[in-house]
Amino acid sequence: MKIAACVKYSLDVAEIRVDVPTRKLLLTGVPRKLGNVDKNVLETAVMLKEAHGGSVHALGFGPPEAKDALLREALAMGADEAVVVVDPFDGGLDPSATAAVLASALARMGGFDIVVCGEASDDDSTYQVGPRLAESLGWPQVAYVRDIAVEGGCVVAERDVGAYSERVSVPLPALITVTEETNTPRRPTLMDVLKAKKKPLALWELEADLGITPASLQEAATVKQLGSEAVIVSRRQTVLWNKPASDLARELVELLVQEGVLEGHDP
Amino acid sequence: MTGRSGEVLVFAESRETCLELLGKAREIADTLGAQVDVALFGESTAAWAHELGGWGADRLYTVEDPRLAGFSVGPYTDALVELLKRTGPSVALFAATKQGAEMAPRVAARLGSGCVSSCVDVRVDPETRCVEAQAMIYSGRGVATYLVKKNPAVLLAVPNTFARKACGARGLEVVAFQPTISDQRVQTLEVRPRATEGRRLEDARVVVDLGQGVREADGLTMAQELADLLGGQLACTRPVSSERGWFPEWLGLSGKRVSPRLCIALGVSGAIQHIIGIRGSEFIVAVDNSEDSAILTQSDFGVVADLHEFVPALVEVIKARGLRLA
Repeated sequence: MKIAACVKYSLDVAEIRVDVPTRKLLLTGVPRKLGNVDKNVLETAVMLKEAHGGSVHALGFGPPEAKDALLREALAMGADEAVVVVDPFDGGLDPSATAAVLASALARMGGFDIVVCGEASDDDSTYQVGPRLAESLGWPQVAYVRDIAVEGGCVVAERDVGAYSERVSVPLPALITVTEETNTPRRPTLMDVLKAKKKPLALWELEADLGITPASLQEAATVKQLGSEAVIVSRRQTVLWNKPASDLARELVELLVQEGVLEGHDP
Repeated sequence: MTGRSGEVLVFAESRETCLELLGKAREIADTLGAQVDVALFGESTAAWAHELGGWGADRLYTVEDPRLAGFSVGPYTDALVELLKRTGPSVALFAATKQGAEMAPRVAARLGSGCVSSCVDVRVDPETRCVEAQAMIYSGRGVATYLVKKNPAVLLAVPNTFARKACGARGLEVVAFQPTISDQRVQTLEVRPRATEGRRLEDARVVVDLGQGVREADGLTMAQELADLLGGQLACTRPVSSERGWFPEWLGLSGKRVSPRLCIALGVSGAIQHIIGIRGSEFIVAVDNSEDSAILTQSDFGVVADLHEFVPALVEVIKARGLRLA
């Protein structure tokens, strides 16, 4: 079975700071890493390979530095090959562009039975790339997969849709998206990382390797960001501490009464 | 089919989300002097569909087909794409639920349309029909404005964002639509509905929000007593939901968003992905044992204490003073 694991070298959203006077999001210098859910993607792909044989191919669209994360995480976790398609816009285009690039790279690598994506990326969280990629490939999709088995050329998956959960079956080839609840990603050892260094790891250029000009990709983007601003949260931030619990409880209740949140009532 | 098609189409996933989306759809359509369509799929048409005229809809497109009895992305996408091609609206509104999020991008991809996720506002230029959407980015740290370059603009609106608006009696034209459904590759083998308490978390006036700092052994009982005392409901963070199985759903970016009068966060670390779920609360009280906890900067009143000592003390004070939610 030939398995693709689509992953993203994401911004660490927890590290995004805000310049309050200008309401600017300070994105320069925010560290990046392979997203949390992307490790579940890799775990799913490697588990499928272990159960059914075949190969795992990790694929990302991002900055050249993503290569190192793919080595230490994807290849070390058990992927056989990793490819980073270099994004000349550094994440500046819309999910339709990402899906188009991934579809093109998958076509060049060829012959996949299953593509695994995260339900949404850690940073942009649009939930769009998986469904858009499935549509580009002309494949069926099964989103929010919690458990997966391959039987007789079909994927049988348990998925969580919020209000209900369901078990579905779909013939291969198919695209699935997984969540942070799907599994517990393995932690590669130093030995795994050393072995990974012998595996193929490539940087592809849009135009040279996929025949997509950056201008045409930009032109095809269906959404353009005009601007952004930070959401400023202004809570009181009154902190009560360093007293016995019963004193703190009385103080808190007094504050809530003063604010009109709690009131007395006649029994 | 009679009359002019609407400029705004609402995909009706459930009555609740449909009424919210109609509130915004009506507002957009009124600025354009246009009409609002609703698409409702199923084996048969839900009874609540006929009240939609009173909530801003002009026309209801129903597709009654046994293949649409349960939600499935393939057949639903086929049906909706054909309907959107027929009616050609500027905007198609979906609720940003799990179902909406797996279907809307696929619909947009097939139409070659732009899709914006996590929308909190929409504007359509009356002259050019250009659609601008505001959406949350980076787990709610910011809001971005997007120009959709290709209509219909497929927009996933954050639930609990738009207000439903009763519009008085309006004629609702019902049109039975019969699309061609070809994608039936995904077979549903078994569906298990979740047990629900019957009360919507979104309607709660007090929410007691449980994080990983709450002890597994006795924390739930303690929190339940506090919630009951104030007539509130319990909720939790994503890790608590996935690791403890107390509740199937969680609050946050990927879960539900609540806007109660009072939210009491117990042992919640304050990750931005979770904060977005409780940010709409009027007052946030946080109890955590660390004075460095990020939740304290996101709260009105923070208490640094062992919550397993503090919560019983709080319950005692509220009982002793005979207090309730104002």
